[in-house]
Amino acid sequence: MSKPSENKQGAVQTTGHAWDGDLQEYNNPLPRWWLWGFYATVVFAVVYWFLYPAWPIGGTFTKGFATVTYEVNGEERTTHWNTRALLMRDMQTSPAAVRQREFLEVIAEATYDDILRDPDKISFVRSYAHGVFGDFCATCHQAGGAGIIGLYPTLADDDWLWGGTVERIEESIREGRLGYMPPFRETFDAEQLRAVSAYVLDIAGYDGGDEDEIRRGEAIFNGTDGGCFQCHDTGGTGRISQGAPNLTNNIWQIVDVAGAASYEARLALVQSVVRNGVQREMPAFGERLSPTEIKVLAAYVHQLGGGQ
Amino acid sequence: MAQSATIPSSQAGATAVPTEQYNYEIIKKFAIMAMVWGVLGMGVGTYIASQLAFPFLNFDIAEITFGRFRPVHTTLVIFGFGGNALFATSYYIVQRTCQARLYGDGLATFTFWGWNLSVGLGVITYMMGFTQGREYAEFVWPIDILITVTWVAYFWVYLQTLLRRSQPHIYVANWFYMSFILATAILHIFNNLQVPVSLFSLESYSLFSGVQDAMTQWWYGHNAVGFFLTAAFLGMMYYFVPKQAGRPIYSYRLSIIHFWALVFLYMWVGAHHLHWTALPDWVSTLAATFSILLLLPSWGGMINGIMTLSGAWDKLRTDPIMLFLITALSFYGMSTFEGPMMSLKSVNALSHYTDWTVGHVHSGALGWVAMITFGSFYHLFPRLWNTKLYSLRLVYVHFFLATIGIVLYITAMWVAGIGQGLMLRAFDEYGNLAYTFVESVVFLHRPYVVRAIGGGLFLLGILIMAYNIFMTITTARREAARVEAKIGAKMARASS
Repeated sequence: MSKPSENKQGAVQTTGHAWDGDLQEYNNPLPRWWLWGFYATVVFAVVYWFLYPAWPIGGTFTKGFATVTYEVNGEERTTHWNTRALLMRDMQTSPAAVRQREFLEVIAEATYDDILRDPDKISFVRSYAHGVFGDFCATCHQAGGAGIIGLYPTLADDDWLWGGTVERIEESIREGRLGYMPPFRETFDAEQLRAVSAYVLDIAGYDGGDEDEIRRGEAIFNGTDGGCFQCHDTGGTGRISQGAPNLTNNIWQIVDVAGAASYEARLALVQSVVRNGVQREMPAFGERLSPTEIKVLAAYVHQLGGGQ
Repeated sequence: MAQSATIPSSQAGATAVPTEQYNYEIIKKFAIMAMVWGVLGMGVGTYIASQLAFPFLNFDIAEITFGRFRPVHTTLVIFGFGGNALFATSYYIVQRTCQARLYGDGLATFTFWGWNLSVGLGVITYMMGFTQGREYAEFVWPIDILITVTWVAYFWVYLQTLLRRSQPHIYVANWFYMSFILATAILHIFNNLQVPVSLFSLESYSLFSGVQDAMTQWWYGHNAVGFFLTAAFLGMMYYFVPKQAGRPIYSYRLSIIHFWALVFLYMWVGAHHLHWTALPDWVSTLAATFSILLLLPSWGGMINGIMTLSGAWDKLRTDPIMLFLITALSFYGMSTFEGPMMSLKSVNALSHYTDWTVGHVHSGALGWVAMITFGSFYHLFPRLWNTKLYSLRLVYVHFFLATIGIVLYITAMWVAGIGQGLMLRAFDEYGNLAYTFVESVVFLHRPYVVRAIGGGLFLLGILIMAYNIFMTITTARREAARVEAKIGAKMARASS
């Protein structure tokens, strides 16, 4: 009956019903392969149920015969198959996890000097940080720590707001940083604002300013009228305890002065920063990343180009 | 049985029944709206697919960003296109196979307005940023209530028509539609148990929390696929395939077995969307095994459809409508094989949270749901307007555009999904993750472009179909007007 050749009109009986004129149904038997296929899936399911947690019974469930063995505080423990235990076991024994842990243990023991000098260690650091930096840091600081002017500082040069030693970098990652420069729009009148900005351009090495104006600006910057020196230091060389940038090296974080077309345009940019101030925050990662991960990141950022 | 024997052979009369006996007006309304929402929904789909490939396309306009347009797309294609197609075909099939006029003209008209108002309001609220945040059930609570009322009316219309049948037996298509109506009611109500923030707020909180809430959502989500997008469209298949082929269904026995297996098994599998989460392991196991058990019952429908054509395969050479129907069944078989495989925990660990899932859904949604609807509609529209299809050649064009579109779509998503899945689990020689998440996103760009092109071809296909149907209806109206004018003239001559 199940051979297709017999499935011709008239060869197989229809059910005898008809709808809407010509709608009828043959009553072919279930195809064998279909039926056996279905039985096979039933067998598969039952085997699966015997192996793994499956059926709820009251407050508990059938545990299945499959087990997972893993370690808790040095002691082996075997439980019924479950995803939590599986994760524990994988983290303890899978080849990739074992290899990574061995390297991480070495890093955890090593000093920064060791790490930065040893090509093996630094190449592990680069590999590990590729993922950690990529997932946690690159969101703001961009791939390779390129940064974005106006938003996030670049980590790839040797200009550091909060210090470029590996210890200072580690502190920045662990504790986070709050960068703050007050707005001076209430403090300065238009003339003072222009003068102090002209002075800033002057120490950054730009010509074209009015000499008198620059001198007035210098007095404001380094005196009590502006008090800029309190954070930026006398002469504007910056102070890492405040996260206050060095203004003399022509590296710009907030506005792209170096890229501006004319002296007036540069002056306008600097004035906008002095007028409006700056407020930036780098979140603390001490709670989100492990000490070793932070160590790896600090070493990685340090070797990006400008570690001191 | 004794009762049925007393009714004189009804099939002889069936062909002679004039169409006026049936309520075709309501079917026309639903069928046209299905086309309207279908074009819009697939248009939005293609647009957001392009956004994923080229993010600038959101133009920083909140209302048209992916986040808002995504539920707009799914709602338009599932509930707008699919829902209206199901209303249309179920009202057609229940009347023709019961040989009874649809119960309650007014109530049926209410289901039309209630349903389409819900879809329209849903789309507007999503664009304004209001959502319940439940996948495929994003409607805010007042719309949920409107849907519930509409659905109860639908159930009543359908049931009363079945009860008024002048056929002794209920045709298989109607079992599927009935199970779809009942299951959808249960799913909709339980997944939308929400407490509104206030009487005048569109916001609400779910009655469930944590993993129970997730389970309820995916119990709903997968059964929306199972009953809305599968069982109901199988109902469509069970009528239009044998009708178009002019041959009896392959096996009545198979239809019974696979129907009951399907409706029983589907209810268990939703949790396979939550493997490797806070979901208890035993729930995961049950969901995975019931998904495997579901494979052959799903194929039962495919076999019954495809084997119906056995002995008349030559129709595939001459009838593009048949091409649509059979291709739909093939995609149905393919995606109901892929689904159980993906529901295995180990496969799911690779596939989940990647575009493989998206590809899988679309091989079902485009390949099965849309294709079976296109085929059925090409059969249905000319009959509703009592005319011939404007162009069979355009049906061929539509078929090839749609099929190539789907193939591009699915293969692009396989590449994207499996590729991303492998990238996210790749380790380097130090045991460190080899790739960052964002690198996997960069990798997705090219498959996303191909997917957008595939979607574009599919959209082009339905636009051609819309034109074909528009011309069919226009021609039918013109013809009807000419005949009427002729009769009018004759009557005038006779009376003078």
